[in-house]
Amino acid sequence: MQALNLPTRTVSPRGHRSLRERLARQGWIFSAPAFFIIAGITIFPILFSIFMSLNNISLTYSGFKFQWTGMSNYSLVWSNSLFQYALGFTIIYTLITVTVELILGMGVALVLHKLAYGRGFLLAILLLPWALITAISAEMWSFIYNGVYGVLNAVVMGLGLVNHLVIWLGTPVLAIASTMVADIWKTTPFVAIILFAGLQMISSEIFEAASIDGAGAWQTFWRITLPLLKPTLLVALLFRTLQAFGVFDLPFVLTGGGPGHATESLAILSYQVLFEDLSFGPGAAIATSTTLIVMAVAFVFLRVFRVQVGDSESSA
Amino acid sequence: MMKKSGSKIRRWLTATNIFAVLIAVVTLLPLLWMVDTSFKAPLAIGQFPPTVFPHPFTMANYKAAFGPGNFQRFILNSAVVSLASTAGVLLFGSMAGYSLGRLPMRGRVGILVVLLMISVFPEIAVISPLYLLMRDLGWLDSYQALIVPYTAFNLPFAIWILRNYFLTIPKEMEEVGRIDGASGWRILFQIIMPQATPGLFVAGTFTFTACWTELLMAISFDSNTAFRTIPVGIALFGSQFTVPYGTLFAASTVAILPVAILVVVFRRSVVSGLTQGAVKG
Repeated sequence: MQALNLPTRTVSPRGHRSLRERLARQGWIFSAPAFFIIAGITIFPILFSIFMSLNNISLTYSGFKFQWTGMSNYSLVWSNSLFQYALGFTIIYTLITVTVELILGMGVALVLHKLAYGRGFLLAILLLPWALITAISAEMWSFIYNGVYGVLNAVVMGLGLVNHLVIWLGTPVLAIASTMVADIWKTTPFVAIILFAGLQMISSEIFEAASIDGAGAWQTFWRITLPLLKPTLLVALLFRTLQAFGVFDLPFVLTGGGPGHATESLAILSYQVLFEDLSFGPGAAIATSTTLIVMAVAFVFLRVFRVQVGDSESSA
Repeated sequence: MMKKSGSKIRRWLTATNIFAVLIAVVTLLPLLWMVDTSFKAPLAIGQFPPTVFPHPFTMANYKAAFGPGNFQRFILNSAVVSLASTAGVLLFGSMAGYSLGRLPMRGRVGILVVLLMISVFPEIAVISPLYLLMRDLGWLDSYQALIVPYTAFNLPFAIWILRNYFLTIPKEMEEVGRIDGASGWRILFQIIMPQATPGLFVAGTFTFTACWTELLMAISFDSNTAFRTIPVGIALFGSQFTVPYGTLFAASTVAILPVAILVVVFRRSVVSGLTQGAVKG
């Protein structure tokens, strides 16, 4: 077979096309396992989740029973004050943490970029929070914030900032702020490394030219570094926004969504409605709403840098 | 002599270096505090103001954490689930990544964009239908209940990363193989894959770290003690009225080690993975 195949391939254009077809078929065979798993575990469940959110689901002895109810789960959920609060909390949480992380991450990236000695060492340190299990990070911060023997109280009292023990996770505003600080500590390094990688790709000649032309550090940053870093900044912004919008682990372990419902994100609310109340219809409605909002945000971002995906394709 | 070393120190004290030290300290302090606490006796842990160094120094927390039927089980579960998922992701990811990068399939760009979109879906979107699926399959409280979803969720990013690496391998190599009559499988596994080892490290490190740290699916599908992974074990540890921080932090310190070593050793891989994420979006 093979001996027959070879000469035809080099001689006739028809034979060449058949090699292309053969390789394309091989590509589909090679990709089949991956596409099958991805479709089965992500695409199909997302569609099924939409179906669930349009049903009244009751738990019976024989299993789950579905009854079509249209949009009633959505109107139930969207008019519920817990959902409205969770939506607001998630939006504010995302806005504040992502903004602070981008600003601090930019600073850390600039330090990494300028650092002459020990850059690898600092990178290794910065990777530790990124690789840390969030549940562990949450327990670590809950110990630091502890209102009776937490070290944070020892520090702020030692500095004379307050003269009494502060229950950091006890009141809504403080608990929200404390959760954000823990998030910022863990995720700023991730943003910093992405931005640092972006800085490394900017040609050093541009910076040299700027300094020859007498541009100051401030001017260089606003006029050259920031505009050239825009694509990288957008990617970091997109990644972080989508991640932050699905926040679950940190508040779930650190505060349990409390005090009251103060730090309850959409993901935590959805989890509780699903697994603690066993209300699968409304739970799916919350999850689907979250997904739709995330997709809308992603769509806006993807439109902004669709050109980039196209570019990487054409260079391929 | 004195003066010379003094000026050396002063020269080293630039704003950049001072900030670098500050960043390192802020990043490390909470972690060091946790490790420090893991060597303290319960009384010292509950003391205010806390002492800086463990006094008396004790290993009791480690003995408690790794006593009969405790944390080893969670570590074993995490290792099984993470290693199996990583193996699956690398195998299926290279097959698909090679096809999408090198073989003339129609609609490659569309597939890549769909993969990109899937990789940003929030996990919560699939939890309830997957729970019902796992329940119907009788998979709740099993290893496969996590291995299969972890493989699926980490494949899109791995496919992107590996595809980018495969693109850099000279085309001549496969053509020589093809002329020699090698099958598609042999070309992929014997010619292409060995050339893409750095890409495999990047995809492997990211997948392993993601599986090792994942909580939501693990707590939803495998909350039974026998199948709890480390994050679930940690999250459900303090469900009583008091949190036994000493034991918890001893267990945490041990749980951090494998990934900390992995990440520090494969530092370059991780940074290059993040870079690719930044370049390719």
